[in-house]
Amino acid sequence: MGNGANSGGRTRNVVFRIKRCDGPGKPSRWEAFRVPVEPNANVISCLNWIAAHPVTMDGRPTTPVVWDSNCLEEVCGACTMVINGRVRQSCSCLIDEYAPNDGDTITLEPMSKFPVVRDLWVDRQRLFEGLKKVKAWAPIDGTYSLGDGPRESPAQQHVRYALSTCMSCGCCLEACPQYLKEEDASKWDTAFVGAAIISQARLFNEHPTGAILKDDRLDALLGVGGINDCGNAQNCVRVCPKDIPLTESIAAIGRAATIHGFKRFFRGA
Amino acid sequence: MTDGQGFLQRHYHLLRRLHSLAGVVPIGAFMIIHLTTNSSVVWGALNGRAHIAESAAGRGIETFQHEVHFINNLPLLLLTEIGVLWLPIAFHAILGVAFALTGSNNVSRYGYQGNKRYALQRLTGYIGFLFIVYHVATLRWGWSFLTPAGTTWSHYYAASTLAAALKGAAGQWSVAGVIVSIGYFIGVSALVFHFANGLWTAAITWGLTISQAAQRRWGYVCSCVGAVLMLAGWSALAGFLFVADYDEAVQIEERMVEQMYGHEYLLELKEKFADRPEIGRSAVRQAATRPYPGPAPLIEE
Ligand code: SF4
Ligand code: SF4
Ligand code: FES
Repeated sequence: MGNGANSGGRTRNVVFRIKRCDGPGKPSRWEAFRVPVEPNANVISCLNWIAAHPVTMDGRPTTPVVWDSNCLEEVCGACTMVINGRVRQSCSCLIDEYAPNDGDTITLEPMSKFPVVRDLWVDRQRLFEGLKKVKAWAPIDGTYSLGDGPRESPAQQHVRYALSTCMSCGCCLEACPQYLKEEDASKWDTAFVGAAIISQARLFNEHPTGAILKDDRLDALLGVGGINDCGNAQNCVRVCPKDIPLTESIAAIGRAATIHGFKRFFRGA
Repeated sequence: MTDGQGFLQRHYHLLRRLHSLAGVVPIGAFMIIHLTTNSSVVWGALNGRAHIAESAAGRGIETFQHEVHFINNLPLLLLTEIGVLWLPIAFHAILGVAFALTGSNNVSRYGYQGNKRYALQRLTGYIGFLFIVYHVATLRWGWSFLTPAGTTWSHYYAASTLAAALKGAAGQWSVAGVIVSIGYFIGVSALVFHFANGLWTAAITWGLTISQAAQRRWGYVCSCVGAVLMLAGWSALAGFLFVADYDEAVQIEERMVEQMYGHEYLLELKEKFADRPEIGRSAVRQAATRPYPGPAPLIEE
């Protein structure tokens, strides 16, 4: 293709330094692999190659590196990992951009804010608990048909569409200085929920049907670990692969929380 | 323990919002007044109503001293100080540290400007609080042993005692004075940044600025507020460090006391402050205590 580094169609070798871990609670270690890359290869295709040739650079046989992935087109979020120190999806991470020259190194680490299942595969369950905590859904289940949903203005759709593209990948949580790793699931309820959850709460608060649960969502977000735990570092918005305006969601929920807090204060709990 | 956590959980939102509010009002508002007052030592040179002083620098001192007298004559001063300053600052600081401890620092990985400000906001909070404690302890609670020359603050001698508390005895530079002055420079700068940046994040916290454009616009406003306050703080500091003359300041201060409260009171005051340790090195004082050198020699034409 038009990439100068690949002119002549020669394959080049790229070194992958990978932070490995055999399972929860096990120590982690670094292993390096030399991988011949084709033009337009991505990190996942290289991991596939390593799985087929699990031998480290110094010739030691090892176990295949484990990772998580699904859609391979940056819409599911499963393959999120820390690449060269920065969190992103590995399926859309092109080797030609990251390692244009023979012998270049790419470093892969699992996300640091979630418990490691194995190697590059992490358990993002806390994220889903957060979605449950703020009831990030529109309640339409029942015993009878509710008929057509209410209409939404195009302007409203425009705002909500962007928020709806969140794939719960966890990038915004990984980069957030206020979001800390918490292995103990019993503490998730009071640990910071993070930008993705706040943004989803806004998505459903502004949904004409979802708005029924608005007070519940705000009650949850007013407590410890909610909206007030955000420190406005705004890393979240910088790393979100879907360009979701997370800081606007944070401010919008901040405004809703201000009003909700005043109401609660003067009306009583 | 569980009770304390239950209290925190139940009133978390209120506590966080009071913390945010306290930073703007009263603490931030007070800082604006305080830096404006103190910088009057410089811009007071333009004060046409200053009439006791004879030089431009002196007019600055007079203006500053005038403001200090005004503040110290406010009714219920101590009560106001405790209720409007000390308690809110303690509240803001204690909660601030508790909240800061819930975060982490990843600037080395994500070196975005916003992230740097986030880290700086916490750092300046720590620095600023230490500075405030030192500042108030030495110049308000009279912990004079912490000043370079053991200076005790007196609001009747505000300009001169301040210069001495910054630089050293009689407003002459000393090594300790250099350290204290640099400390003041860092402390004031940290607090101004903390306030300006806090003003910016408070607007997000309360949901005043929502869109990124609004946040950017408010960012310009906060930067201007910060720049003006920074200028006020630095000019005040420069005024006391480099412009104000110690002996001139003492003379102006004494004349102002005489004018306001009469000659008797001034004598009483001088008695009380006669052996201020830092005044010993004052040129005027030294000249006054030196033995009479005899008549000046005649100059032959
Ligand atoms: S908001 Fe963006 S970064 Fe966060 S989980 Fe959703 S898609 Fe990922
Ligand atoms: S703005 Fe809030 S949620 Fe986003 S990275 Fe910063 S602290 Fe985290
Ligand atoms: S595999 Fe779905 S985002 Fe990468």
